[in-house]
Amino acid sequence: MKELEKTKRISIASTLFILIVFIAVLTYERPKHLYKVNSIATLEKLTTADYFISLTDINNPDFVLIDVRSQFEFEKGHLENAINVYTAEILNEANSELFKEIKEKGKTAILYGTNPNEVNAPFMLLYKLGYNNVKILTIENSYIENKLISKDIAIEKSVANIQAFIDESVKKASKVSKQKVVVKKPRKKTVVVKKKKKAPAEGGC
Amino acid sequence: MVKKKVAKVLAFRYMALAGILVILAGGLVLLPKYEKHEGIKPEQLLSNVISPERYITTDYLADKLVNQDPSYLLIDVRDEESYNTYTLPNAINIPLAKLLDEDSEMYLNQDQFNIVLFSNDNFHADQAWILCNRLDYKNLHVLKGGVNMWYNTIINPLKPTEDMPAIAFELFTFRKAASMYFGVAYPEQFKAKKVKKVIPKKVITVKKKKKAPAEGGC
Repeated sequence: MKELEKTKRISIASTLFILIVFIAVLTYERPKHLYKVNSIATLEKLTTADYFISLTDINNPDFVLIDVRSQFEFEKGHLENAINVYTAEILNEANSELFKEIKEKGKTAILYGTNPNEVNAPFMLLYKLGYNNVKILTIENSYIENKLISKDIAIEKSVANIQAFIDESVKKASKVSKQKVVVKKPRKKTVVVKKKKKAPAEGGC
Repeated sequence: MVKKKVAKVLAFRYMALAGILVILAGGLVLLPKYEKHEGIKPEQLLSNVISPERYITTDYLADKLVNQDPSYLLIDVRDEESYNTYTLPNAINIPLAKLLDEDSEMYLNQDQFNIVLFSNDNFHADQAWILCNRLDYKNLHVLKGGVNMWYNTIINPLKPTEDMPAIAFELFTFRKAASMYFGVAYPEQFKAKKVKKVIPKKVITVKKKKKAPAEGGC
């Protein structure tokens, strides 16, 4: 009788085990977005400059323009044939489908925003997720009388040599101060002879 | 009769269970390759990236530098040449290409300092920040506008015009004073010294009250 109980335990345990495995397989969900490129490879891409594109080169049928500004800004004015994908919604299902489709068709997604700094985040995120067909359009958008004006700008361009500016300012300032010194006449030395004090009469009664 | 049949089927139950287990074990081979997820999730990274809290302004930084706040550490992510030409006071140079080196990690992955990343604009500094944020490094900030903004606001501040509010003048005074601290000299700095009049010290002497001679008497 005891032996029978033992064998029952084995069969119960094994069926339970199988059940657990089935439940685990059924409930497993793949994360929607997975990085395909690691940080070091991303950094290598960033140090090259081939992910930039300027305004003159965008007339290519293989390019799809993507506006990463908000919908409000997009409707105010945007480049021709651009699609609006707001940065905060870039991981939405519909947008992921869009980027997948662009990649499958072998086209290149050109991202642009108010300025290149704004495009940085969506570009890097997409690149890390494995979309190696994204580029940044180096333009700055502004409005003049509600008309969108796009201008090419240089990235990370230094506006001034600060060290030179500081040196210059010091030079200028010291020049002014030197002139002042020259104008000043040396003071006449006046020798003051101390009068000897009369010694008080000593002694005396 | 029925019992016999049942017993026959039951005799195979271990074989059947063992068979299923073997098949499941075989399924392990078919599992997709384990994808290692480096750093934080993409959704989390996106929400970190779109929030502007990583930016600090040049005025704020100037204030911290003038007051010599020891908790701030500046990191210049430009190339070495630009770093040698001009950099913010006491900044360390980690070019963007060397950001993920082992030596750099020591500076970036720590919790003692507030790290401020900067470049000419904030383009490369932002990139450095995003890379580090994915690896879940804490206490990192980006100087808004970078060295260019530093030049336009602190080193060479624009003088406010007459019609501007008083705050603009206060800000200008602060920025000008800060620029003097960072090495800029102004001609009036020297002029002011020369013009300075020495105000003769007024000596107020308190006259001692003479004791009134004792009046009267006997």
